Amino acid sequence: MKELMRATISFFLAGTLLSASARTAAGYAFNEIVPDVRLPAQFSGGSACPIPSRQPTAAGSIQLRWSTALSSSPLTILTQDQTASGRLNEIEQVIQQSVVVWTGVSGVTLKAASFAPLARVAPAISCGAEGINSICFDQPDMAFTPGVLAFTRVVTADRAGEQLPNGTASAAPGQILDADIFFNPGDSNVIFSTPAALSANPKSYDLESILTHELGHFFGFSHSAIWSAMMYPYAPAPGTISGTRPSVQSPDAPLADDDRTGLRILYPDSTDLVHIGSIQGRILPANPLSLPASPPGVTGLFATHVVAVDAATGAVVAGAVGGWSCTSPGPAQFDGSYLIQALPVGHSYQIYAEALNGAVNPSQISNALTPLCRNPITDAGWPPLSSCVVPQPDVSFTLRVRPSP
Amino acid sequence: MNHKIRRKFLWTLFLIGLALLAAATQATTLARLSFDELTERATAIAHVRCLSTSSIWRNGEIWTQTEFEVLESNKGTLPGILHVELPGGRMAHLQSRVDGVPNFRAGEEAYLFLWNAPSKEMYLLGWTQGTFRISHDPQTGLDRVTQDSAASSLFDPTTRQFRHGGVRNLPLPVFQLKLKRALEKENR
Repeated sequence: MKELMRATISFFLAGTLLSASARTAAGYAFNEIVPDVRLPAQFSGGSACPIPSRQPTAAGSIQLRWSTALSSSPLTILTQDQTASGRLNEIEQVIQQSVVVWTGVSGVTLKAASFAPLARVAPAISCGAEGINSICFDQPDMAFTPGVLAFTRVVTADRAGEQLPNGTASAAPGQILDADIFFNPGDSNVIFSTPAALSANPKSYDLESILTHELGHFFGFSHSAIWSAMMYPYAPAPGTISGTRPSVQSPDAPLADDDRTGLRILYPDSTDLVHIGSIQGRILPANPLSLPASPPGVTGLFATHVVAVDAATGAVVAGAVGGWSCTSPGPAQFDGSYLIQALPVGHSYQIYAEALNGAVNPSQISNALTPLCRNPITDAGWPPLSSCVVPQPDVSFTLRVRPSP
Repeated sequence: MNHKIRRKFLWTLFLIGLALLAAATQATTLARLSFDELTERATAIAHVRCLSTSSIWRNGEIWTQTEFEVLESNKGTLPGILHVELPGGRMAHLQSRVDGVPNFRAGEEAYLFLWNAPSKEMYLLGWTQGTFRISHDPQTGLDRVTQDSAASSLFDPTTRQFRHGGVRNLPLPVFQLKLKRALEKENR
């Protein structure tokens, strides 16, 4: 273990660079999309580099409404206030509180002011891909089955100027055009409670925890690989909550540092002078001949797991799946690169890299990796110079460290 | 680095490794169903082969429709060709994404646990939980079965114990026996 730790320290020294402008495999699995470079640059941006999906952040630019139609048979949302209006007010308070959890993070351009006033809408079926962000508690026919509590569906476009019927046109590829959150309306085994009602209904799921998690998807997150993070994929057990409840002093209290870091990567604030550290490097095989011959052009290990740990506390700050970089006009290059961004400056970090073997079956992460490339097989007429093929993950290697140059 | 920090470091790495797998396969909030619960609640169970997938617009949503050939029906009555729809897909320049929805490739084989919705549509029970993929291990020549949702263990911070809540890398004959026993238990 001592050797391993020394190795990780040396590896850290070898891999530390300043921030780079190019896209590199970074922490979190965001909802990536490759712009359609078959279109003129005014629509595609002219680059085949993958782009993470984002909400717009200008004042009032995020519209959000929720459907006041609630399931009554079975009753799936429990509130402390049993009156009709009180019930709706209590649920709306949970929605607003869950939004504040995310907009309360410091150092991001996503602010409370980015949202237009929360609106109510009566129909149960209000969550269509029509360009209006909505939350629905009683929308039928969404492939819900027993065992599925809630999900978020996010619509993005691979070009600027794309528009859904009731929405605004996207200013750039990757802009989220519609994000809707669906709660299971018809399963008598799936009951949600507001925070005020949770203790009296310990077999119900905490509405605020699940909504806060789903809002993470709404903002463009996939999932965090840190078990204590809000974006960890499993719901807290019935009667329990994720993290701690927000407070005036700590409006983002339910989030972990890992969630905050991800949000700062997605919505960076140029005035933030604290979370501007980044660690970048490459993971290369000792023997280049071990690299796959197909697809061509692979020069580093792909789909490696790279973790940054605070040297003083031992706390994990961020994790990344490394292995690629992209410089405009693209496409992605599989050169073993990794990048961990939005780290607080003034701290020392250790870097650790591991193969995704054992606990991870590479075929099961292919869905997270395949969006990095498009080519004539996936898209007819795709230009060869903008094409790439995602290689197989490297799952068998041991770590050695090359000293800093 | 002292012993305490080193232990925390190792422990956290272990957790991350397990969680990473979940990150890749789950993005919908699920309630865990046991194998027996899945067997009991499924209206049909079948060994299938994926023939094709396509995206369609239906009721204002983009859906992915997957066509399966039913190789063997283990529970319920199914047609020879089965169509299953799940939300999400790609239409022209639009990408509708619901992370955690199982995606299938042509030629892939799986055991599917299916559920008839009140709307009469046939859905995958518990989505990733009702999807048991068959993979061929070239090293051993064995076919193995892994449940999509079993990619990660569930960590209980209170007990600091991991629970492996699903089917992972089970040899196909063992999985078939497990399914047979679950069906027998249900029929008792």
